[in-house]
Amino acid sequence: MTIKLTGSIDSNNVNDFENELIAKLQGYGGQSVEFDASSLDYISSAGLRLILRIRKQFPVMSVTGVNSDIYEIFEMTGFTEMMKVEKAYRVVSIEGCEEIGRGANGKIYRIDRDNVVKVYKNANALSDIQHEREVAKLALILGIPTAISYDVVKVGDSYGSVFELLNARSFSKILSTEPEKFDWCVKEYVDLLKKIHSTVVPEGKLPDMKETALTWAEFVKDYLPAEAGEKLVKMVKDVPHDDHMIHGDYHTKNVELQNDEVLLIDMDTLAVGHPVFELGSMFNSYIGFSELDHNVVKKFQGFDYETSQRFWHDTLSGYLGTTCETKIREVEDKARIIGYTRLIRRTIRRKGLEDESARAEVGFWKARLVELIEKTDNLTFSFNEMEVEAVIENLPEVQKFVSERLKSAECLPKAKMQISLAVEEIFVNISNYAYKPDKGTASVRVEVKEDPVSVVITFIDHGVPYDPLAKDDPDLSLPAEMREIGGLGIFVTKKIMDDVAYAYRDGQNILTLTKNL
Amino acid sequence: MLTTKKSIENGTAVFALEGSLDTFTAPVLEEELKTVMDGLTDLTFDLAGLDYISSMGLRVILSTQKIMNKQGKMKVTNVCETVMEIFEITGFSDILTIDNGNLPDRT
Repeated sequence: MTIKLTGSIDSNNVNDFENELIAKLQGYGGQSVEFDASSLDYISSAGLRLILRIRKQFPVMSVTGVNSDIYEIFEMTGFTEMMKVEKAYRVVSIEGCEEIGRGANGKIYRIDRDNVVKVYKNANALSDIQHEREVAKLALILGIPTAISYDVVKVGDSYGSVFELLNARSFSKILSTEPEKFDWCVKEYVDLLKKIHSTVVPEGKLPDMKETALTWAEFVKDYLPAEAGEKLVKMVKDVPHDDHMIHGDYHTKNVELQNDEVLLIDMDTLAVGHPVFELGSMFNSYIGFSELDHNVVKKFQGFDYETSQRFWHDTLSGYLGTTCETKIREVEDKARIIGYTRLIRRTIRRKGLEDESARAEVGFWKARLVELIEKTDNLTFSFNEMEVEAVIENLPEVQKFVSERLKSAECLPKAKMQISLAVEEIFVNISNYAYKPDKGTASVRVEVKEDPVSVVITFIDHGVPYDPLAKDDPDLSLPAEMREIGGLGIFVTKKIMDDVAYAYRDGQNILTLTKNL
Repeated sequence: MLTTKKSIENGTAVFALEGSLDTFTAPVLEEELKTVMDGLTDLTFDLAGLDYISSMGLRVILSTQKIMNKQGKMKVTNVCETVMEIFEITGFSDILTIDNGNLPDRT
């Protein structure tokens, strides 16, 4: 039985109220009584004592819709431990509020200067809110800068979670209003992406994105030529398990700048998996959704399709650590396979194929997808190549890149030191001589090979043809006075590496160092 | 990174090097040496803390050796294994006077 509590219950009216209650409960055979406190303004200790008296008769008791002042009274007096006391949700209106973000499960609005609310659109919003809170906490503990909601509120017919987000602006907003900050945005966006992808998640804490992608692929398979469909499913299956975090909806509306801090929001799609799945969803955000209608991105992100294309390209370049277009294209194509697969499934499920515009969309993506599947062997990629301007100031960056690639190989400190030394000698050589007096780039590729376990580092520059191996080795038997001061770098490199090979091809100096581990 | 501790007295100098002698740090050491070479007759490089040397570092050591051959003597002490290997590869172990007497026994 539900009994409504209204106004104020204190020693002045508690007796009348008790008589009223007894009358209502007369003849009620059940054990449970629920007090609806949504219209209750105040309750004194006399009122509380009355509730306790009633509880003796009806032990299954709950109080719902309790406002926060009264909840505090219930909490202080220990009532919250004796019975179920449910807080009333604060009601928040989003009328006229600016939409600052949008995710898979809802939209984010700024409700005042310091706070935003994420309004969930699903029927089971409360469990979604709970889920997002949990994964956001997990991410925060693992070192990802994010915001955690502090309150659950009622918004219209749905629920929302409230976050503190002071003076924050999304990267979408920055990109559309301050184009001069484009490069800065790319860099910060890439840094955060790398941070997410380098975060290891304890097993079982987050869903595996590969499982999700596999359901997309299996769905789409039936709409593709048999061979392509099977290859698609196989390629997704073959993506190795990866326990690193992926955000799942990483676009610029979900990255916020709060004062000087870059924050990741909208965490409900957090998962683990290979980065190609993340790149697939990013491709859709910047290109996929807008490829047929370029206005889509403008409406959603606030910047135009051209900016979107540029941002996606530069992000990939920064993320992969290369300006090599072939490499960028190669990885982009893998992301597109995931992206189109998802788009095709989405449209078929939402609109069906009877709808003419849906058929046109699906046809457009299908043609691209089939072509991509044909020319692609697998969906994985590595970050094994970087390109930088060949100046010695970039040596530390190159060294860092190489040593990060070596982490996967079991490399003894001595071999590590020798590799650093060889990298220094070769990179400094290229910086000093390859383009003199002009400037140019050098790319560095690191491959860890098995059988025998070895590291192969390849330096490529487009400078003047120069074979460093053609030079005679220094005569080590000469006394100090007769030794040449320079020219030892290549010699040392040859001695500490297991193989050094030079080739000149297509206008490129290609120097390959091999070190057996 | 290279940290240099030096003591100079009556034409005798000890340079204790710690860290890396590489493309970035070797020119700094070279400049430092230039200011004290005048009148120096006895120079010691204590390399106990040096764990990395590249060809730029070798350059500075060799050019300093050439100068000291003319005006006095130079020795290198406490060379760690990794640096010693580079000295051996490049024949520097024959050119330099190396004194590893103070190094703890590694066997």
